[in-house]
Amino acid sequence: MALLEVKNLKTQFTTRDGVVRAVDGATFSLESGKTLAIVGESGSGKSVTALSIMRLIAGPQGKIAEGEITLAGVNILGMSDAQVRAMRGDRIAMIFQDPMTSLNPVFRVGHQIGESLRVHKGMNKRDADAKAIELLDLVGIPHAAERVRDYPHQFSGGMRQRAMIAMALACEPDILIADEPTTALDVTIQAQILELMMELQKRTGAAIIMITHDLGVVAEMADDVLVMYAGKQIEYAPADDLFYDPLHPYTWGLLDSLPRHDIVDKGTLCPIEGQPPSLIDVPSGCAFHPRCPYAQSRCTAESPQLRDLGDGHRVACHFAGEPDFLRRCMTPGGEGV
Amino acid sequence: MHPPTEPSEGTAPIQVESTQPGGAAARPSRTLWGDAIIRLRKNKLAIAGLIWLVIVVTAVLSADLWVPKYFANPISTEFASLESPSAAHPFGTDRIGRDAFSRVVYGGRVSLAVGVLAVSISVVIGLLLGTLAAYYGGFWDAMIMRTADIFFAFPYTLFAIVLLAILGPSFWNVFIAIGILGWPSIARVLRSSILSVKENEYVDAAHAMGASNWRIMTRHILPNAIAPIIVYGTMSVGGAILTEAALSFLGMGVQAPTPSWGVMLSEAKSLMVAAPWLTVYPGFAILTTVLAFVLIGDGLRDALDVKMKD
Repeated sequence: MALLEVKNLKTQFTTRDGVVRAVDGATFSLESGKTLAIVGESGSGKSVTALSIMRLIAGPQGKIAEGEITLAGVNILGMSDAQVRAMRGDRIAMIFQDPMTSLNPVFRVGHQIGESLRVHKGMNKRDADAKAIELLDLVGIPHAAERVRDYPHQFSGGMRQRAMIAMALACEPDILIADEPTTALDVTIQAQILELMMELQKRTGAAIIMITHDLGVVAEMADDVLVMYAGKQIEYAPADDLFYDPLHPYTWGLLDSLPRHDIVDKGTLCPIEGQPPSLIDVPSGCAFHPRCPYAQSRCTAESPQLRDLGDGHRVACHFAGEPDFLRRCMTPGGEGV
Repeated sequence: MHPPTEPSEGTAPIQVESTQPGGAAARPSRTLWGDAIIRLRKNKLAIAGLIWLVIVVTAVLSADLWVPKYFANPISTEFASLESPSAAHPFGTDRIGRDAFSRVVYGGRVSLAVGVLAVSISVVIGLLLGTLAAYYGGFWDAMIMRTADIFFAFPYTLFAIVLLAILGPSFWNVFIAIGILGWPSIARVLRSSILSVKENEYVDAAHAMGASNWRIMTRHILPNAIAPIIVYGTMSVGGAILTEAALSFLGMGVQAPTPSWGVMLSEAKSLMVAAPWLTVYPGFAILTTVLAFVLIGDGLRDALDVKMKD
């Protein structure tokens, strides 16, 4: 049994203009010690998926309409509020995107790191402070014993993200959800933070869900990758398969829109044309068809189901796997078409 | 899963990207209030206000110890009427032969008490209703804020006079009236402050950490939203003192023979030319005390901003 299993998750928001299906049928699973990356454009449902797992969808507008989320066999969606609070921070912890705003400015860093220990483990202040120093040290903050008494504004962005990671790790959670943890950081710090996360994952055996739109991060960290588009899961595969043999035209688009150092510039940087659809008025059939260069009449009428094409490589495209039909404009080997 | 282990060989502690100039903490860390006091000390005007207020409060609270002994009882009429200021009567005497200095000092008791108590009532009601409105939103928000609007729709002083006409003029009723009239502004300031604080990511982070609603409200939101209330409350004390003076001047406040600055002004209004000292000294007391509260409030506003990095 996998540590986390999500089956056919559907999360919706009721707005004045209609129902937004922010997540429409996500299915995936996660084992201890593994990293799952969820990628996609803004508004594709990545963060809502994570928030659904944490049961942090704000009602009454938002609700999890369907599906099943189990943590080590226990149904998260059936938990009482008290059970959910006991789970948050203790079993599943979250690192937020912007370290500049995710720390409370009026409390010392150490106090905030210790807070979940006091809430979940019933630790007293002194033990929690001692543990906070240990954790700050673990995430690589020098002079942790002194810095633990600092306020967030005395920390740099990279140090704050380290402190956020220390906060998330405080109760040694089974699952760490990182919602674009490096987006707000500059590139050199990004690499350090990712390295730190992998290092800590090795030490603690936690599973990581990495939400990102940075495919470089995915390549570096992920064991499995879930690609989302307009709330739908369109490809779900082991990371190597996804990079070397991507099957969905949208995934090709994502990969082709990355600048690459191993291909001499032939003018082959191919951004995906058009804009992601509005989630209120999702195109009929395959949501990607208006932007898909290979779309057929079938794509406008019929919504493709997620199919397993072997070795756990799942894709939602009518034509994926048909050898001569689809050719990418650029291949990993480097020969453009 | 295993707990994070001590760094051993092979798992060297990860290096941080940069250290602060000067190695460890660039300066010793202090508490929020410790920092605030240090910043407040740099604000000369606020310190002047604070010193003046300490003098006034000390003088007023200890009045029983020294005023009757060295000057006079504030309600005894044993002296000649309308004496101009002298060594025996530093502020002169009034029409019926009472020592004006002792009346100013004892009047300060009433004025300060009304100011502080009335604002406390406003703050308690305002905190409660403002928090409810901001946190629950919807129906409660609409109810509370429309009630506040109704309060705003009446001319303030007129409303106070009507309330006192119903309750009857007395010391307690004055501060009840001022307190009840003050809550809508406090509630409104707090509500908007909470609404903006609520959107912060650290509130989401607290939810994700498993904190309860009560904990999030009291530990994460209120401490960040409360600074404007401290500032506004401090300044309101000055306003409440002015209102008390105005009500007493109009005869709707504290009743003779109890002295208050407003009562004194009221009694002296027909003698403004004949005995100017009877209006100047209570007026000066009101002016400086209100000013002191405003200056302190102003200083607190700057001092409580944790984001000021000096």
